[in-house]
Amino acid sequence: MKTLLLLVSTLVLASSAFADDHGPVFGYATPVNSQGEVSCDTGIFGRNGTRGTQLSTGTGCGYGVTPHFTIDAFLPATFGSGSLPESRIMPGSEWTAGASWRFLHSVTSVGKRIESTASLGAVVTGPQPDSGVLARLHREPGMACTLATGYASRSQYLWVGAGYTTFAPGPNDRRPDTISWSGVYGYRPAKLRRGYDQWDYRGFAELTGEHTGNVRSAGALVPSSSTTSVWLGPSVLAIFKDIAIEGGAQVPIYRDSSESLYGRERVRFAVNISYLRFSGRNSSH
Amino acid sequence: MKKILAAFVLVICSLTAHAQYQQVNLTVFGMDCAPCAHAIHVSMKGIQGVNTVDVDLNSGLVTIRLTPGSSASMRQFNEAVEKNGFTHKDASVIAKGTITGSAAAPFFEVTGTQDRFALKPAATASDLAALLGKSVTVAGTLPQVAKGKVSDTLRYTIISEGQ
Repeated sequence: MKTLLLLVSTLVLASSAFADDHGPVFGYATPVNSQGEVSCDTGIFGRNGTRGTQLSTGTGCGYGVTPHFTIDAFLPATFGSGSLPESRIMPGSEWTAGASWRFLHSVTSVGKRIESTASLGAVVTGPQPDSGVLARLHREPGMACTLATGYASRSQYLWVGAGYTTFAPGPNDRRPDTISWSGVYGYRPAKLRRGYDQWDYRGFAELTGEHTGNVRSAGALVPSSSTTSVWLGPSVLAIFKDIAIEGGAQVPIYRDSSESLYGRERVRFAVNISYLRFSGRNSSH
Repeated sequence: MKKILAAFVLVICSLTAHAQYQQVNLTVFGMDCAPCAHAIHVSMKGIQGVNTVDVDLNSGLVTIRLTPGSSASMRQFNEAVEKNGFTHKDASVIAKGTITGSAAAPFFEVTGTQDRFALKPAATASDLAALLGKSVTVAGTLPQVAKGKVSDTLRYTIISEGQ
């Protein structure tokens, strides 16, 4: 079983910002599954612009191999026909799976911890085509890595993270490499710092950014296809025991992209539901 | 020979039935949210002999009450914390067991388990010579130890005979 899990984790991709059940809905964060914990996510992620709307839904699953090492996979389905830039903050049509390792975990006092998590994996082309400029490309698999670090407490959260995704070049095409980053501040008001048998709420301010390189199509770079954008918006996470519901929206605060190619992307939103199944399995003695 | 064996088993069983942890109050660092507490609750409840578990997120205190005759051990409680990615600090315990060793170097054996602790006074030392070999109830604190280990010392506050 361990060999199988190791094989799966080696084969697949990692991490994304996709709706981590304990953290923000857009940005990168550090939590991983506890040992034996199975988490399942499903949600809707949308991007709307002047060239249309793109929606992704899908299912993600994670399994805590150790208290600090989680393997996960995300299988999305997309619908809509927006012509939008490449994004790794928002899920597209790629199947992804990978592994996350919380390599730093320092508990400083009751309810407080500082931790860092790295993720690595592969992005595999799904059966659905992309839309817009990306629809014309011959798609090859890629690799993604992310690094997040931050502080968690009963009252406040702060995470910063960055990711890099690169795709293998096709015969004549190449999807752009993507650098993404995020900063997340979370707050739980004093009134809501209650027992675990009640709903646990917290709010986040999520700042995310992405820079994508130029698209290569039919052997030539597509002019002005590189993009940079920065997004800001709120999100709310509500958890009751093993169920988590979160939602948020972002608007652009900086955008440098060709309107003739991509139009003007105006809003991003996400709603996610997670089921967390914790393991009660223990050693006999 | 069979009678001797039967008597031996009876003695062992009677000792086991009266020797176990009654309550463990474990301080846990690192829990920030409801799922953290729920994970600890589920893990602790998965230990055979655990009756109730309360988790206070604001104090980090996990209170575990056990059923009579439980054979749950401190290692299991610590592992339940560690597997969820948290850190256990001091634990205050109330347990039944037997005092062994000598008056100068007494040990407390929680005989329903394999747990054995050197007894040290938390404040004023008691004269334990009269309690050697007897069934007692001990309340005290197990100091924090490194991950994967169990304290080998119990700093007692109260020792009472035969309860």
